[in-house]
Amino acid sequence: MLTADEAADLIEAIASRQDRAAFATLFRHYAPRVKAFIMRGGADAESAQEIAQEAMIMVWRKAASFDRSRASAATWIYTIARNKRIDLLRRTGRPAIEVEDWLTIFAPEQGSADKSVAAGQTYMRVKELMEGLSADQLTVIRMAFFEDKTHTTIAEELRLPLGTVKSRIRLALGRLREALEREEEK
Amino acid sequence: MSRHPAPDELLLDYATGVLPEGPALAVSLHVALDPAAQRTVSRLTALGGALLEGEAGADLGDAALAGVLARLNDVAVEPKAPPTQRRPGFEWAPSSLVPYLGNKAWKRAFGGFEQIAIGLHGDTHRVALLRLQPGKGLPVHRHVANEYTVVLQGGYTDNTGNYAVGDFAVGPGPQEHEPIADPGEPCIALIVVEKPIVLTGAWGRWLNPLLRWGWM
Repeated sequence: MLTADEAADLIEAIASRQDRAAFATLFRHYAPRVKAFIMRGGADAESAQEIAQEAMIMVWRKAASFDRSRASAATWIYTIARNKRIDLLRRTGRPAIEVEDWLTIFAPEQGSADKSVAAGQTYMRVKELMEGLSADQLTVIRMAFFEDKTHTTIAEELRLPLGTVKSRIRLALGRLREALEREEEK
Repeated sequence: MSRHPAPDELLLDYATGVLPEGPALAVSLHVALDPAAQRTVSRLTALGGALLEGEAGADLGDAALAGVLARLNDVAVEPKAPPTQRRPGFEWAPSSLVPYLGNKAWKRAFGGFEQIAIGLHGDTHRVALLRLQPGKGLPVHRHVANEYTVVLQGGYTDNTGNYAVGDFAVGPGPQEHEPIADPGEPCIALIVVEKPIVLTGAWGRWLNPLLRWGWM
């Protein structure tokens, strides 16, 4: 296992001295996770592998932009993998958009994002939170994160009125806010 | 917290990266200007990170790491990007908007306002910045497609309320509205309009001022 601090140290080692051993450790931990995450969305193993590899190369290139006070390594790598997936989808049938453009639009630069949440968030806490969601809410959240779908598409696929999907998202986000605010007060 | 926040489902679509470029740009500006929206997006992104961390992992094969390490010989670790330079006169523009501005200048539009058309990579939405002098209004217009507005400077008022910097409006709201710029600084807003699927024909275009100005 790799703790959040260890993972952040590894990215900083890449940034400060192009540390290939640090990259290798990070790759062994995150590349298989990115591949598995992407495959949940229905991607075939080959595409998922390509996205995982391209995402890790982006981690190398952009290591100096990582800021551990703003996001954990997992969160940062998630945003890179997400953008790589979008990039790949666009290559197959949609207009090409450079991943750098997406990084700009999808990465607000202000440093005021909650440090405690972004950096200190652990998998266990979120797992507990997810277990607290109703099955209906969980389905919508999983489709959004794993299957790369807009709330409109989710409504169509579940054959639900748009309003129902919106209210499930709002309830789930309400739970998320509640749980994380409790966490921040500790 | 802004009085007119973007709806949660749009922030979720933004955080998971599925919004088309135009709406994503609009939400990015709202997020840059609204701490509550920024908090929500940062939590949602952390949720994505936690879901990634929790994966058991899928095997990449023995050769994958060696292959990627070999490729890194030709890939430099890029220096940290310098802070975005603000153009004089465009200090109100959050950094995600800056690359879209280039050297574009305000152009007077027929109807008493100024605009800068923003080019996108895709072709699903039209995006423009509008600048309205205090007390001036946009002509009454109908909403014919999904529309997102983010206020970047000043403010405006219409029959749905008052919108200040950072506020986010989702249309179509009422069938018709007539936004008027508030006193003080000129009102600057980014407007993103989904291109209608059905063409409205020459007469429809002429009758709808925003269509007539090449908006849709």
